[in-house]
Amino acid sequence: MALERSTFLVLALPGIVIALALVFFSERYIPRLYQHGPLLIVAYAILFFPLALVAVRASVAQAPIGLEEVARALGCKPWTVLWRVTFPLVAPGLAAAFCLVFLSAVTELTSTLILIPTGAQTLATQFWTYTTGQSFGAAAPYAGLMVVIAVIPSYLLGRWFNRLPAKATPTPL
Amino acid sequence: MTRLAATDLHKAFGHQSVLTGIDLDVPEGSLTAILGPSGSGKTTLLRVLAGFERADRGVVTLGDRVVEDGRHYLPPEERGIGYVPQEGALFPHLTVEKNIGFGLSRHQRGDGRIARLADMVGLAGLGERYPHQLSGGQQQRVALARALAIEPEVILLDEPFSSLDAGLRASVRADVQSVLRQAGTTALLVTHDQDEALSMADFVAVIRGGRIGQTGTPQELYEHPVDPAMAEFLGDANLINGSVEADQASTPLGTLVLRSGSARVAGPTPAVVMVRPEQVDVWPGRSGHGFAARVVDSQFHGHDTVIRVMLDAPGIDAIVARIDGGAALAPGTEVTVTVRGPVLAWPDEASTRDLTLSEPRG
Repeated sequence: MALERSTFLVLALPGIVIALALVFFSERYIPRLYQHGPLLIVAYAILFFPLALVAVRASVAQAPIGLEEVARALGCKPWTVLWRVTFPLVAPGLAAAFCLVFLSAVTELTSTLILIPTGAQTLATQFWTYTTGQSFGAAAPYAGLMVVIAVIPSYLLGRWFNRLPAKATPTPL
Repeated sequence: MTRLAATDLHKAFGHQSVLTGIDLDVPEGSLTAILGPSGSGKTTLLRVLAGFERADRGVVTLGDRVVEDGRHYLPPEERGIGYVPQEGALFPHLTVEKNIGFGLSRHQRGDGRIARLADMVGLAGLGERYPHQLSGGQQQRVALARALAIEPEVILLDEPFSSLDAGLRASVRADVQSVLRQAGTTALLVTHDQDEALSMADFVAVIRGGRIGQTGTPQELYEHPVDPAMAEFLGDANLINGSVEADQASTPLGTLVLRSGSARVAGPTPAVVMVRPEQVDVWPGRSGHGFAARVVDSQFHGHDTVIRVMLDAPGIDAIVARIDGGAALAPGTEVTVTVRGPVLAWPDEASTRDLTLSEPRG
């Protein structure tokens, strides 16, 4: 519970705070890691964990322990229960979490600028580089691509969230 | 023949003892009810029988197999026990048909069994629906069909009607009872509702304080409760202090004949006497042949009327009477009270008030 609450604290922190904290940490203790891919991934994990948690949590609530017990009583081994009951119920939440995090990670800028390995670029940093140099024309394709990439998970998320209330409406008999 | 039996079952959660020596026999083909107040350990017992919890001590046998004896333990999926939980717990991502067929092999699913089961529980034609499209009663029927589909040795029902509203409960109860009879399955029903246990079951085992307090047919339990607390738990009872001698009890309501099976003592002995409300007759006005009393209050239920009266004579609490039909009487109305039929008495029983089936503390 405390762990769960503490992850939400991260949402209140600007990305730059977390990035600078990681810079300090890696410089001091593991200099080899500074400006290397793994550290950026750690930053993303810290930044987007709360997002994933919210989505997954809601779906885990869809798979109460009682359902798993019923499945056991009906003759399923524990791993079969996982496959036939737990996974199908949790899957939409996992997918939603994936979409949310993907969407955020693709467009994340501040931490990425600070932590990205030398020479590497993401769409967002490339776009940033060009706009700071006033090369709006050159920046445009990156912005366009980001929009296109963002549209797919947004569309899927939208469909998923729309599906829920529709499913919850009981059909009169 | 016994289908399901538990011997000396013990179970504790931390320092909290929940089951303290359960002995239970569920005869083949019967519908047996475990009746107990909340917190009495009845759900824990069911979970141990199903294999969801391990017993600390004791033996569970299912047919001729020992499924738990402290050392050996058969997991729930190998017991072949049908389980109907409180809220039905249907798989929300599967249709009615797939819910019913969940425990069946691919081959079994093809043989028309699912349609027969759906038909049996009165849900023919709803196979393509999802659980959220069903009413509470329908969901319970699907849960029952799903449990019956695997042709279990025993089916366990954990307060299956408690989530239904009162009007629906009676009809779903009756349906479930007839489906279980039709299927000939041995069933064990856990409930806190005396009415449900007495009206549905062939045998009732009352659980209190982690043990079985009394077992018998509903009629045996109602007519011969082992002690005053049991009497109060199984229906309404007037518990009156009096004294017994041979086959008679002297009470403020006159000298009453003891029921056969009631404990007999030779000399006069203080006793608690049970008079069921339906044994009490209330006559309007004052007449010579009964006991003068006044109405305290009355509730009109249509099919009967429950009247509380206070005797003019001292030394007795208000008496509850249940009169067929009848009409509500205004408080203060003068009436005459008589008792009909033999009564049950417990000689030397301590004051009834400290013997209630209280819920465990902590």
